Amino acid sequence: MRTLPRTLLARIAFRSFFLQASWNYRGMMSMGFLYAIRPGIDQLHSPGPAREAAYLRHLEYFNTNPYFSSIVMGVTLALEERLSRGEIGEEVIHDTKEGLMTACAAIGDGLFWDSWRPFVATVALVFALGNYLLTPLIFLALYNLPHLYFRFAGIFWGYREGTHVIRSLRQFQFPQIRQTLRLGTMVLLAYLIPNHVNVHTPFLLTNLPLEYFYFGEKVVQGFGALLLVTLGTFAYRARVDVLLISFLLMIFALVLYHWGILI
Amino acid sequence: MPEHLLASLLIALIGGIVDLDSTATWQFMISQPIVAAPLTGLFLGNLYGEAAAGLKLGLMVGVILQLVWIEQLPLGMNVPPDAALASVLSVALGFISGHSYESYSEREVCYTVALLLAVALGLLGRSLDMFVRRLNTNLDTWVCQKVEDNSLWAIAVGHTLGGFFTFTKAFIFCFLVVWLGVEPLKYFTQTLSFKHGSGFIVVQGLLPAVGFAVLASMVLKDREETRYFIGAVIMFTLLPAKIFLAFIAAGIVMYRAHKGAKK
Repeated sequence: MRTLPRTLLARIAFRSFFLQASWNYRGMMSMGFLYAIRPGIDQLHSPGPAREAAYLRHLEYFNTNPYFSSIVMGVTLALEERLSRGEIGEEVIHDTKEGLMTACAAIGDGLFWDSWRPFVATVALVFALGNYLLTPLIFLALYNLPHLYFRFAGIFWGYREGTHVIRSLRQFQFPQIRQTLRLGTMVLLAYLIPNHVNVHTPFLLTNLPLEYFYFGEKVVQGFGALLLVTLGTFAYRARVDVLLISFLLMIFALVLYHWGILI
Repeated sequence: MPEHLLASLLIALIGGIVDLDSTATWQFMISQPIVAAPLTGLFLGNLYGEAAAGLKLGLMVGVILQLVWIEQLPLGMNVPPDAALASVLSVALGFISGHSYESYSEREVCYTVALLLAVALGLLGRSLDMFVRRLNTNLDTWVCQKVEDNSLWAIAVGHTLGGFFTFTKAFIFCFLVVWLGVEPLKYFTQTLSFKHGSGFIVVQGLLPAVGFAVLASMVLKDREETRYFIGAVIMFTLLPAKIFLAFIAAGIVMYRAHKGAKK
């Protein structure tokens, strides 16, 4: 039987927003984890050695994806509840938490950092380069929909399903979602390159009849941008630092401008 | 209160709040350049009575920094360059130093120099971030000892202090950079020949190519995809530059990918 009320779980999910406030090289997110679940621990263990042991247990190393951390919190509280009833030992909590935090880190980091954030950023870039002043709001609204969903729903899943929560997570088919997002990002990038890298040369003005000028300008800009991006991609994949690439591009642009090739 | 001091305090406050979001708390991603830079531009522009100009500068800076650091991920022990502080400081330095110039090209020179300077400041911000994390490690050891001694209040105090260190670090850093950095930046841009100012506008137009290259390195996985990608770039070169076309194409590709994955 579950004893923690829903309001308390929601409060813990809210406290998980502060998970990384004291991020450090020893316990990483451990202090934040304990800070977040403390109301649950206080409710499950009466004051005394059991509660103190629970605190010390959760000051051990902890690191996961912050958006998926509430899932681990929910499962941990479910196990703490079973421990308080004497159904399991401490080592079960330790082992489960360790396994779950690694799984959630792998899923969450892959989904949010590697796929969702670049995709939403690219959507925002399309709007920003089109001079939409509300771009920051679009970015925030879009990005935070799944963030808040996993943050608040996660703790309830974790607490309700316990160690079976991984099975529920599998239903999302994260690899397919990531692949879809990557392809979407690719298409939006293909739109951005010819339209928002400004390659202008005076030769078209002097050599092309006016009726072909617009088309010629667009073609030169598109292919010039593609060439620059291709060179940049080769350099980046050859592990040249992005700042060095920017610096070289700046020198290149200033020299071409000085010679009158770019305007 | 002098306007420059007020602006420095405002930027310090924005820097502190935005830096808290980058890892320590919330992680709503207001710390992403595409949000942090326009936000700074809007507040600063309001202070100087040029809100629209500030917001536009913010968007320009946000786009470039978002692209340059799109692949920098806060995974595990990795501390990425402080894109949040770089965004805030780039807009602040560029806007305040450019504010005193009348002509468009003079302002653009200030904006571009501030942008390049801010990238270096982002790297310095990373070192400060690592310093705070080392402080937090000492804090973590202290909290563990206190909990063992049954002083449970130390958990909340230690955790809050961690967040306080992050905010204070960003606040002081931003304040000092803006308070002391505007005049040297003005002096430096004056020493650059403004007759070549348009060269910096050319640089600004080409800089997105570096970010697009980084993004392309991230999303393109094999040769076949690269071929499709180049085809898409050529298609968007020839099509009119309409945002809805980009989203329709992305929608079709994502739908097909999702359907293919289901099969």
